[in-house]
Amino acid sequence: MQSSEQEEDLRLLRESARTLFDRAGGSGRSRKLRDAGGEFDPDMVRELGEAGVFGVAVPEEQGGLGMGLAAGGVIAEEVGRVIAPEPVVATIGLGLGLLRRLCPEHPKLEQLIGGEASLAVAWQERGPGGASADATCRYADGKLTGGKAWVVGAGGTQDFLVVAEADGGPVLVLAEASADGLVTTRRAQADGSSLGELSFSGTPAAELACGAAVQGALSEAVADATALAAAELVGLSQRAFEITLDYIKTREQFNKPIGSFQVIQHRAVDLNVMCEVAQAAVREVLMRMDGETDASIRARLASRAKARAVTAARKVTRDAIQLHGAVGYTDEFDIGLYLNRALVLSAWLGDDAYHRRIWFDAREEEGAAQ
Amino acid sequence: MTDWNAMSDAEFRKEVRGFLEAEYPEELRHLPHRPKFAEIEHWHRKLHTKGWVAPAWPAEYGGMGLNAAKLLIFYEEQQRWGVNRGRDMGVQMVGPLIIKFGTQKQKNYWLPRILSCEDIWCQGYSEPGAGSDLANLRTRAEIDGDDFVINGQKIWTTMAHDATHIFMLVRTDPDAPKKQQGISFVLASMDQPGVEVRTITTLSGETEFCEVFFDNARTPRENLVGELNKGWTMAKALLSFERIFIGSPSLAQNALGQLESFARGRGAFDDPVFRDRFAQAALDVEDHAALYSRFADQLKRGETLGADVSMLKIWVTECFQRITELMIEAAGPDGGTVGPLQVGNVSVDVLASFYKARPTTIYGGSNEIQRNILSKAVLGLPD
Repeated sequence: MQSSEQEEDLRLLRESARTLFDRAGGSGRSRKLRDAGGEFDPDMVRELGEAGVFGVAVPEEQGGLGMGLAAGGVIAEEVGRVIAPEPVVATIGLGLGLLRRLCPEHPKLEQLIGGEASLAVAWQERGPGGASADATCRYADGKLTGGKAWVVGAGGTQDFLVVAEADGGPVLVLAEASADGLVTTRRAQADGSSLGELSFSGTPAAELACGAAVQGALSEAVADATALAAAELVGLSQRAFEITLDYIKTREQFNKPIGSFQVIQHRAVDLNVMCEVAQAAVREVLMRMDGETDASIRARLASRAKARAVTAARKVTRDAIQLHGAVGYTDEFDIGLYLNRALVLSAWLGDDAYHRRIWFDAREEEGAAQ
Repeated sequence: MTDWNAMSDAEFRKEVRGFLEAEYPEELRHLPHRPKFAEIEHWHRKLHTKGWVAPAWPAEYGGMGLNAAKLLIFYEEQQRWGVNRGRDMGVQMVGPLIIKFGTQKQKNYWLPRILSCEDIWCQGYSEPGAGSDLANLRTRAEIDGDDFVINGQKIWTTMAHDATHIFMLVRTDPDAPKKQQGISFVLASMDQPGVEVRTITTLSGETEFCEVFFDNARTPRENLVGELNKGWTMAKALLSFERIFIGSPSLAQNALGQLESFARGRGAFDDPVFRDRFAQAALDVEDHAALYSRFADQLKRGETLGADVSMLKIWVTECFQRITELMIEAAGPDGGTVGPLQVGNVSVDVLASFYKARPTTIYGGSNEIQRNILSKAVLGLPD
């Protein structure tokens, strides 16, 4: 049980984040950005930065608000509710997660918190078969060679944070998006956004950190981002459900609102229960991650959150289309935007089947260790 | 008198756990069936001496006077240790009703007898034509001098064959404009010529449910609790706490523990498909517990629970069923075998768990009824 003071802080944060997104245009703004080519809005990033959104989980001594992942989750839920395309979770979880752990003195940290800089994190790699593979991207003599994949926010970023292999082990380096020998290919996503595929050939980059600490910080940052992505899906599911509930209350067939039919009512209840379980589980996870220092337990908690959130979002967004009937299949109705965004967020950082596997294996290891 | 509520939650939990672990008879842990009173009498005597028979009752009536937070802890510890509820219809159902709506004379007479189990109660609500539609009940009680004369039939009366008394909802005004009106709450002795009990054999071969027939059975008019024709509202007023209790994670948690040890012994975890389904079930239980805590916190803050608490029951009972179905799957060719299956040093009665899970989605308001309630009261969906 969280303290009532903390609960109140989170409530206020939720209110101000919701107001901010609503004032900016809610899901309508997201649709416009998609129609305009799918990139996020740099002005919005600045506004979010000024409002302190990016720094919620950064400790106060590093220039953040020090409110923990629980607060990051509040923000992520609100982002999900309006399906905002800005890489808020990637920035809080990955970008700031790496910088604050590995090089808290770097000026990029402050700029990123303030929304004055954009920074996309490139850490995954694609193997020859197309699936995720071990890292082979090299860093030597100040230059990067190889490739990175599934980079969120690659389109509009000024810089990339790249995790690469060097002679002394893993390194974290900073490369400018306009650097020589860097080719960025965009892969279009269902929601209109894109993921970047980077190819480096002797691309100059500056080393920020090296050694085992990089691997440790990366695992922690990925766990944070995974749990926050779960929170984003929770907000998305909740809003998709509300839209659907409004629709079935007003849409009439056989001279009655379709929401008066028991089969529709029971399906709506099932979606509601899904949303509530997911919200309770993900919020509990974030709260526990804030109080947990053991990295493997934090990772297992994050997997639990993502597994639940993806399961719920899949059920809610797909049933939402069905409950809308034919109009649910049109681009004109917003509910489809939620389905598309859920597809992208579910695939990013692992879907439910993946995370159940990770969760189960971690549980087995813990059991064996005891 | 100990003021339990003044203790910290941790202290209180330790106290309860200590007592249960030291005093609860080993042979009664995780009892797979509902016991007759004789089977658990020795445990009941210990509880009675300790003064712990009625945790929720106010201390002035011989209860522990626990607030909601402490009460949840008490039940959690009972369930954790596999403590049988005992014959608790008196304590859980009729006692609180008498405390809230009964006369002083009724309290003085009935409450001590409930605590001592001198009277053992069963609940006469459901009828053949009044299950989910309980207000449709037809068993009549007519005033005849100083008595009510009762005619009709109750069904699914749990352990009626081992009860001395029945508390029941009866129709006292057949001409009331709405069927919820004209229902009264009366107490009656089972030990009389006009009452006949027949046991019902369930799918699992147990006989815990009964039919009870009333043929000019009598009970004194002073055994009416509360006002005449106001029984429906009273009975409903009692359900608030039960609704979170019925949605508690414990049944599913215990079943999951059983499933895990059984599946491990059977080597079922070698199968990646089984591993995933187990992980799904385990996460379903864990995530339900998160939602349960949210409601429990509400109670602890002294708030009353809304109709949305019904979602706990829906989720956990359906999850419980899936877990017991996985047990059957893990049993492979033994999936139809009656009695305990031995795996290493663990013994699991797969079919007993499976059967135990079936009625959970039916009793306490079927899950379909719960969905009706949620769709109207929480989602505001139209008629």
